Order: sequence, then structure tokens, then C-alpha cells
Amino acid sequence: MCHSPESGRFTVSFRVHFHLYPPPPVRSQDPGQRRVLDRATRQRRLSRQLEALEKDNFQDDPHASLPQLAKRLPQFDDNNESGKKRKKTRGDHFKLRFRKNFQALLEEENLSVSEGPNYLTACAEPSKLPQRHFCTVCGFPSSYTCVSCGVRYCCVRCLGTHQETRCLKWTL
Amino acid sequence: MTTLVLDNGAYTAKIGYSHEKVSVIPNCQFRSKTSRLKTFTANQLDEIKDPSGLFYILPFQKGYLVNWDVQRKVWDHLFGKEMFKVDFADTSIVITEPYFNFTSIQESMNEILFEEYQFQAALRINAGSLSAHRYFYENSSELCCIVVDSGFSFTHIIPYCRGKKMKDGICRLNVGGKLLTNHLKEIISYRQLHVMDESHVINQVKEDVCYVSQEFYKDMEIAQLKGEENTVMRDYVLPDFSSIKKGYCKPHEEMNFTGKYKPGEQILRLANERFAVPEMLFHPSDIGIQEMGIPEAVINSIHNMPEEMQPHFFKNIVLTGGNTLFPGFRDRVYKDIRSFAPTDFEVSVVSPPNPICYAWEGGKLLSEHPDFEEMVVTREDYEENGHFICEEKFDI
Repeated sequence: MCHSPESGRFTVSFRVHFHLYPPPPVRSQDPGQRRVLDRATRQRRLSRQLEALEKDNFQDDPHASLPQLAKRLPQFDDNNESGKKRKKTRGDHFKLRFRKNFQALLEEENLSVSEGPNYLTACAEPSKLPQRHFCTVCGFPSSYTCVSCGVRYCCVRCLGTHQETRCLKWTL
Repeated sequence: MTTLVLDNGAYTAKIGYSHEKVSVIPNCQFRSKTSRLKTFTANQLDEIKDPSGLFYILPFQKGYLVNWDVQRKVWDHLFGKEMFKVDFADTSIVITEPYFNFTSIQESMNEILFEEYQFQAALRINAGSLSAHRYFYENSSELCCIVVDSGFSFTHIIPYCRGKKMKDGICRLNVGGKLLTNHLKEIISYRQLHVMDESHVINQVKEDVCYVSQEFYKDMEIAQLKGEENTVMRDYVLPDFSSIKKGYCKPHEEMNFTGKYKPGEQILRLANERFAVPEMLFHPSDIGIQEMGIPEAVINSIHNMPEEMQPHFFKNIVLTGGNTLFPGFRDRVYKDIRSFAPTDFEVSVVSPPNPICYAWEGGKLLSEHPDFEEMVVTREDYEENGHFICEEKFDI
């Protein structure tokens, strides 16, 4: 309908535009279709990530798949030769007491009722300085946030990588 | 009667007799994919031929001793015939514990030291107290000091006055070497190569290549440049345990910018990771941990102290622990604290030549102190009075 010279010029340059730049990310821009996580979910995801950073190992125990040996292999370092008798610590009671995990021990301490400084009060407070944000893909300072999941990116290329690899790729 | 000093850390144990030198030994057990049946303890790490995908079994969790099975196995190895050959009836032990250690762990420790191993006498003390003792030994004119102990599990800021710790001022940041290594593993796995299983190798990368930047945003800009101008970028050659036993960092001159690498070498190219990872000690909020960084926490801690002591604390800041070995750490801490502190106070930050063994050296000096005999609890005391006497004497 609009045969004005202006629209004609616009169409020509638009086609040229396609040749120079890579196609935009395929993710649908329709707000109705795109899934957006709410704040609580984003917070939970972040906590999950931080907890994962506390892990000792990311792989499984190499010995876990081995069948349990009926009798233990001989140790060859005899403790009995030293000539001293070690007082044997009582079997099951020992195992019960000495195998609690950190969370159980912390709860046992019941610190909320105790007075004075303790493990919980010693924790550092949030910083008074503003939080800095970094692109999750390349690590440089970022200014933009992904609309769906809330992580940071610095440029359109990083946004593309993020949407292809990580955005909403696992549920929480 | 000999004294054994053991700085029982979550990553390494610093152990030695007080008349001998200290040894730094990993305080955990290892399992390897290749040697299927054997579990390696402590320094048997050197016997493992292929440390790729090494599985760690640590007795500590979040900095506190929870797994006594593993700890006892490590101690059996250290106290046994192959290592220190301890004669328990004739030895007293100085052993370190974390701050605000839980009563159940303290009681278990008492039981194990006195009933299972049967040491003649024991002294349980915080690692920072040993560092403070060492510091006051060299600077006997100073009354107060503040110890920054940045280790594997967390970082503590502890003010000391006249040799006693000030409990109200203790501040704990949940950022330690473990977090830094895990974060580095994550970003390398996302950007370059899957290394999530390789804690041992990436820990070495972190120690070789990372540094603390003095001007963060400027270094960020330099890291974004391409080619020769990017002085921050380094190539790290990963070990393959057959020809290359230990990874190393290629010096800047040898780096290949055209993008073609020598075959047979696996290379990691690190630019902003080099200084962004240690930056987490100064700004834990970078990664989402809502806590203050080390300089802010020091200032906060000092502000909670009585006003007349504050100038003395600023003059005596001591950095201990493995994380302080990053190049540029001390200068950055000084710069940040100097900018926060009032101008009329003098600020002095000391980084000892061996921060890992500083507490152990303090323990050695303490064992030679004339009051040492009164500080320990002997086995007879414990058998008569039980846990009560340990609770009274030791200030944990």
C-alpha cells in the first residue's frame, strides 16, 4: 500500500541487514509463550547453586559400585605389636555419636536460646556496598538481565549462548 | 616429655614435634578411579600415579570436624610407625580447633585424645590464638592485634587483646579456598573444558595463576582486549600425568595468539578468571553470598571494640591462612582498609613469610613457654574430673 520512496528504501536496507548480522535467537519473543520465573524461584535457584559450591566432590565414590567384601582384606599394619593396649571405644555407641553431619550438630547446640556470641552471631552481615553484577557467560561486568530466569548477561552474543545452553534448562 | 604440635586444618594438617620442623600434610583420604581397592590416606597422595578425577573424603564439613572415622584413620597414619612414631605415654599434644566449636565435638575430641590415643597431656586451642601468640612474641610492645585467618572452609576475623580473644568481635565469612576452587571449576567447565571432577588439578591452577587485582575495573578492561595488548591473559598447560606430570603456566612471551596450539597439550586460556575468583574474598556478593568482604569485616570488627583500643588494632593486622598467599593480597587489604579507616589512625597490615605454618610456629613457641604446664590438662586430671576440667581450662 505504501509506495512512498521512504518505505521502498526501508525494505531494501532491511534485507541488507539480514546479510551482515547473524539471525537473532530463535526463542519466541511473544510474552504469552515465554516462561518467566518469579522471585521466589529465582532465590531458590541461587541458594541451590551456592549449596552446590560447598560440595567436596562432584563425582561418585569410585568404591561405591564395588561389591561389599565379605571379609575385609588383611591390613598388614598390626596395631597390636606396639605392646600397648588401646582402650576399645564401645562399638555402636561410638558409631552413633561420631557420625552426625554438620546440620545435626548445629541443631544440637541449640544456639538460639544461648546468650553471648556464638557460631550464628559471628556470621558476617550483608555488605553496605552495592552489589556488582557479572555476565554468567563471559564474566565481564554486565548491565542486562535475562527476562526469563533472571541471570545477567553483557551483550547479545552472550544472551544467545545463555538461551541455548542454560536458560530454564533444568527445573526448580 | 616431648610436645607434638598439630594444627588440625580442614584441608591440611600442620604437624611436627616442637623441637623439629613442621610438615604440611593433607588431612583427608583419597580414592582414585585407577587403583580401585585402595584408599589413600594423607600424604600417600604422592603414591597415586594418576590423580585425575581424584575423590576426596574430608573429615571436616563447613570447617567443623564431623567425620571421626576418617579423622582417626588419618591420625593413626600420622601418629604411627611411618610418620611420627608417637610415644603416647610420654607426649603432650597441642591441637587446634575452629572458633565456637560445638560442645559435642569438643567432648568427642577429649575422649579420643585421652581414652583412645592416651596422650599424657593435651591443650586444645584456636589456631588464631597461636598466631596471636606468635605475633606478640615478635612485637612484645604491642597490646592488641587482629588476626585474619583465611583458610579452606571459611575466613575468621578475630581481635586479640593482651593475649585473650575478644569474642564479641569475632566475624566469620563463609568464603574459603574450597569455595574459590569450586567456583573456578564451574566457570571453566562452562566456558572451556569439563573439569568438575578435577579438584586437585584446578586447585593447582588457582594457586599458580590467580592473583588479587589492585584496580578491579581497570584489569577488567585490559582483559577484554584482544591479542598482544591483553597482558592479563595466560595459557595454562594441563597435566596429562603421562608426559606432563604437573601443570604449569606458560609465560607471556611464549603464548600463541594465532590460535594454533601444539598437539598433545591441553590448554586453558584464563583472562578475567585470574582476578575475578580471588575477588570473592573481597566482595562475596559478586557470586550472591550476602556477606561483607574481608576489609569491611575487619573495619566492622574493630568498630565493635572499645574506642581506646581501636588505633592499636589498626596498627596490628595479621594475615594468616592459605588464601593470603595470592599475589597482591596484602597490598589490596591495606588499600581497602586504609580507605575505610579514619585518617588519623595508622594502618599496618602484616603478611608473614609463611602464613600456612604461622599458627604452628605459635604452637611451638607456646610449648616452650614457662606457663605451658599450667595450661594443659593432663590425663589424670581428665580421668578424675571429666569434660568439666577441659571446659574450664580451654578457651574455645
